[in-house]
Amino acid sequence: MTAAKPRPQTPDRTIPIVRKHHALVRLTHWANVPLLFGLIATGLAIYWAAPVFKHAPDPVTGSRDYVADLGIAITRLTHDDGGDPAKWVYDRFSLGTGQLAGALRLHWLLAYFFMVNGVLYVVGLVAGGGWRALLPRPSDLPDALAMIRYYLGVIPHAITRKPWPHPPVRSKYNALQRGAYFTMPLIGALVVLSGWAMHKPVQFGWLERLFVSYDGARIVHFGCMLVLGSFVVPHVVLVIADGFDTFRSMITGWSLRVRGAGHE
Amino acid sequence: MSKRPARPKGPSLFERFAERPETSEPASERGLRRQSRRDFLLFGLGAAVAAAGAWWLLPDKTKARVLPWAHDRLDTLAARVGLSGANRERLLDGALTFDDDVAEALYSKDRKVRTYARSEVTPLKPNYHGQAPLPESLTNWSLELSGLASGRTERLTLASLAELGIMRREQVTRLVCVEGWSAVAQWGGYAFADLLKVFPPAEGARWAELRSEISRDAQGRPEPYFVSLDLATARHPQTLLATHLGGAPLPLAHGAPLRLVAPVKLGLKNIKAVTRIVFQAEEPRDYWNLRGYSKYDGL
Repeated sequence: MTAAKPRPQTPDRTIPIVRKHHALVRLTHWANVPLLFGLIATGLAIYWAAPVFKHAPDPVTGSRDYVADLGIAITRLTHDDGGDPAKWVYDRFSLGTGQLAGALRLHWLLAYFFMVNGVLYVVGLVAGGGWRALLPRPSDLPDALAMIRYYLGVIPHAITRKPWPHPPVRSKYNALQRGAYFTMPLIGALVVLSGWAMHKPVQFGWLERLFVSYDGARIVHFGCMLVLGSFVVPHVVLVIADGFDTFRSMITGWSLRVRGAGHE
Repeated sequence: MSKRPARPKGPSLFERFAERPETSEPASERGLRRQSRRDFLLFGLGAAVAAAGAWWLLPDKTKARVLPWAHDRLDTLAARVGLSGANRERLLDGALTFDDDVAEALYSKDRKVRTYARSEVTPLKPNYHGQAPLPESLTNWSLELSGLASGRTERLTLASLAELGIMRREQVTRLVCVEGWSAVAQWGGYAFADLLKVFPPAEGARWAELRSEISRDAQGRPEPYFVSLDLATARHPQTLLATHLGGAPLPLAHGAPLRLVAPVKLGLKNIKAVTRIVFQAEEPRDYWNLRGYSKYDGL
């Protein structure tokens, strides 16, 4: 018997890394994906039962609900003949129509997890010192405009093959990122507060008054849902554009991008 | 004039909250690769668990619509690892009970519901689950009270109720429906608490079951409606046994001749056309709780 030949191993190297995100921040960041997905799907199914954005019944479709109208308009544009046009949006973005009881139970379950998740996220921000990178600063407005200008120019300059340098960034996030990452936790807090205002409008009467009225809280809750949902698209696009290192840093916590070593 | 000694300057607010410059640290490349592998595996595991959990928690109706060709097979697979429909119901009922417990902990018997001016009244949708009771069912109407300290069963009519000497009350409060709409209405009637003073419940009673035997389903067939009400809510100063809406006797669609108005509870607890109230120690069944809604419904 011969001993197994040791596999040739590349010699280990020491490389510089930057610690980016606390483990709790990473965990809660990813937990938000299924939680928000479920909260929106159940929330819209609850919304179906009594829309807050409504109008007098349409003489043709009989619809009173702007969300149903949107479905009707989309099916008309796409010549979609399958299913009830008024249910188009609810069937695609929610649990579906006529499932209020099930949607409510699931919404409460996920909402409690979402609140716990939010608290853990803040704990992670404090424990890892990450909160400092999120705070707005006076230079944010001009820097954010410079970033928007940069993003608008990326594709034209790529086509014309002209150089288009990235504006200098001397902090963890650029001003646009910082604005978004600072706002999202606030929207998260607002969606929870408006949720409680609707859920317990008697015991939390002061909270309901903060949103002016019961329907005020419903409108804010719906608006927060739209903001949280529409944040995802540019977020994912920009992470892909930024490269694998950014994505990996949200899973492993470290980055190979050391400032002053090539990357701005 | 003596010069004030210069105070030693601490860091300014901006400096204290300022972002610290990123510092790099040396790390073993092999160690990083190992850690990266572990973290990506954990990430994949988490994603798989989330996907399985999401499938498990979806209502059957939604599953059948989303994946009509595979939902049965996926459900069979999920049930093998314990993600069965029965377990799902248990978890979701648990979430509902937890939320009810939170609501009960928040409840304060002294906390009043906001009252409105009469000018703030809004249209009130009848929203009967089925059809409203038939006018004939009101001719022999009476309210039966049982589970009383006296051990008797009382049978009250609107006339005998009026003779009890209970002060009539008026209040303009809001009804909040589980569906999400709300409406302000002017109610008139008797405080439930006052009736409980005249007819105290038996010792140990913590609950009331309120029933409407004249309720009907959507096809017009008789279908009793029943709610559970904790006596703390029954004794809340704004909980009424209402006989009037907007200054006029209750119409059939709004629960003639007598209904519960408990503004600290969702509309579905505000049972219309009450015919029986039973006081008891155990929590009674509740019509909408049997259909998957909360049984506490506190606002």
